[in-house]
Amino acid sequence: MNVLTIQNVSKSFGKQKIIDNLNLSVPEGSVFGFIGKNGAGKTTTMKMVLGLLQPDNGEIHVCNEPVCFGQTRTNQYIGYLPDVPEFYNYMTPIQYLKLCGEIIGLSSIEISKRSRELLTLVGLNGVTKQIGGFSRGMKQRLGIAQALLTEPKLLICDEPTSALDPVGRKEILDILYKISGTTTVLFSTHLLSDVERICDHAAFLNEGKTAVTGTLAEIKALHGHDSLRLEFSEDKDLQLFKKQKLIEPLLLHSQETNRELILHSCDMVSVQKSLFRVLAETGICPVKIELMEPTLESLFLEVVK
Amino acid sequence: MNGYIAFVKKEFMENMKNYRFFILFAVFLIFGIMSAFLAKFTPEILSALAADMEMTSEPIALDAWKQFYKNISGVGFSAFIILFGSCLSNEYSKGTLVLMVTKGLSRKAVILAKYTAAAVLMTICYWIGYTAAYGYTSLLWNDTSFTNAALAAVLLWISGFLYLSILMIGCVIFRQAFTSILFTGGAAALISLLGMIEPIAEFNPFILTSKNVDLISGEAIPAEFMIPAFISVILTIWGLAAAIWLFNKKQL
Repeated sequence: MNVLTIQNVSKSFGKQKIIDNLNLSVPEGSVFGFIGKNGAGKTTTMKMVLGLLQPDNGEIHVCNEPVCFGQTRTNQYIGYLPDVPEFYNYMTPIQYLKLCGEIIGLSSIEISKRSRELLTLVGLNGVTKQIGGFSRGMKQRLGIAQALLTEPKLLICDEPTSALDPVGRKEILDILYKISGTTTVLFSTHLLSDVERICDHAAFLNEGKTAVTGTLAEIKALHGHDSLRLEFSEDKDLQLFKKQKLIEPLLLHSQETNRELILHSCDMVSVQKSLFRVLAETGICPVKIELMEPTLESLFLEVVK
Repeated sequence: MNGYIAFVKKEFMENMKNYRFFILFAVFLIFGIMSAFLAKFTPEILSALAADMEMTSEPIALDAWKQFYKNISGVGFSAFIILFGSCLSNEYSKGTLVLMVTKGLSRKAVILAKYTAAAVLMTICYWIGYTAAYGYTSLLWNDTSFTNAALAAVLLWISGFLYLSILMIGCVIFRQAFTSILFTGGAAALISLLGMIEPIAEFNPFILTSKNVDLISGEAIPAEFMIPAFISVILTIWGLAAAIWLFNKKQL
């Protein structure tokens, strides 16, 4: 089942088309990475899912219920963490969570129990100072706590790690990973290492459309060429290697820097067969032979080209 | 309903923490006390400063009431509008409402909670000021038999709700506190200008603020104020409904 489906959604600001016929579905139980450049429309998409922006056309469903602009019925299924969460500065974390709990309609016993659990989860238990004195990382962690208060089916995080230092980033990713067993997580980012660390599904947003979507393994398998890197100890070895008949056709898709040669191909097995035959025949011994896995980064660059 | 009550509590807490309530309480209390004293002693102060000035008449209790209502309807309400003018703009600019609305808090509850908090605080401040004015006026003139003094106060109080309701519309339309205050000031000016047009002047809520003191002096009778008071209440409710309608269309 899909927790979130976006169908043919478009959105323009003035003459600028930000989202252009976007389709996306987020399966239940997944950690979904929503990847795109700055300004690609990630935040706009999320705001439309939350009913904070009106799509020009198309439909959005959360847990099979349609999202209506301005009304917040579907938001009961969603926990939302904005990129820079802002709270009432004069409140303490406990007071803020109490306010949120009362808005949702939890009983006061439930509120205090859940607040304690969540503040422990995000490492803010026992913090009694006002939110005005919080660091960005602390605000981000409180943001996760308030988003999880509703026990949402879908947690939407808008670039939760972009503004944090490496320690803060690791903490947030650890928390997201911890909760991924119970909640579907959709998080937007332009940091690909974050996606590779905790996501099992991803979508690349480019020019208002999903350029690629699927599980991480599928994406890596479908797109991006496999590459093989060779490093030679001497220039003449490299030149000799390149002159071989079996190698020549492979040079069409290759990069050369100094004594290094990178061969790209979709069929790595046959490339390797030719390569080893040539090496055995000519007696050339490269310093290094490495099979390069496709990275999300190479894929990302390919998509946004 | 849950959301409304929770948000009203939050509004009260906010108004305490940012000293809005204390400032307004002090302003209204000072006007309540000062108006009687100023009415009583201004002639004496003036003659002490300018010895050759001749005071033609003794100050009476009505002067104190005139002073009080002039101050409250002018400076008192203006202070209220200015301080509450930022009640939504702060939330817009910081983005604090986004988290509340995405929790399922209805937009109607936001507007109603803000209005409730402002109206309750206005009521407390206003009646404290009135009590002080009543107390000191009766003390200084040794007289407690003011005709229709309470009714005169109720009429001005009713118009206070109307101005707060206009302020809510301003706050919803404009993202900056300054422009919403300007909007309310403009609306108030328009109402007072309409008060000059003779055939409709007697229905205009403006006379609740301009003529309520005539009830104490006996120049006006309560019946004259009933229709304007009723219109004021209707306009207040209409203003709130308009603010909610506009807020539902607003992108946060």
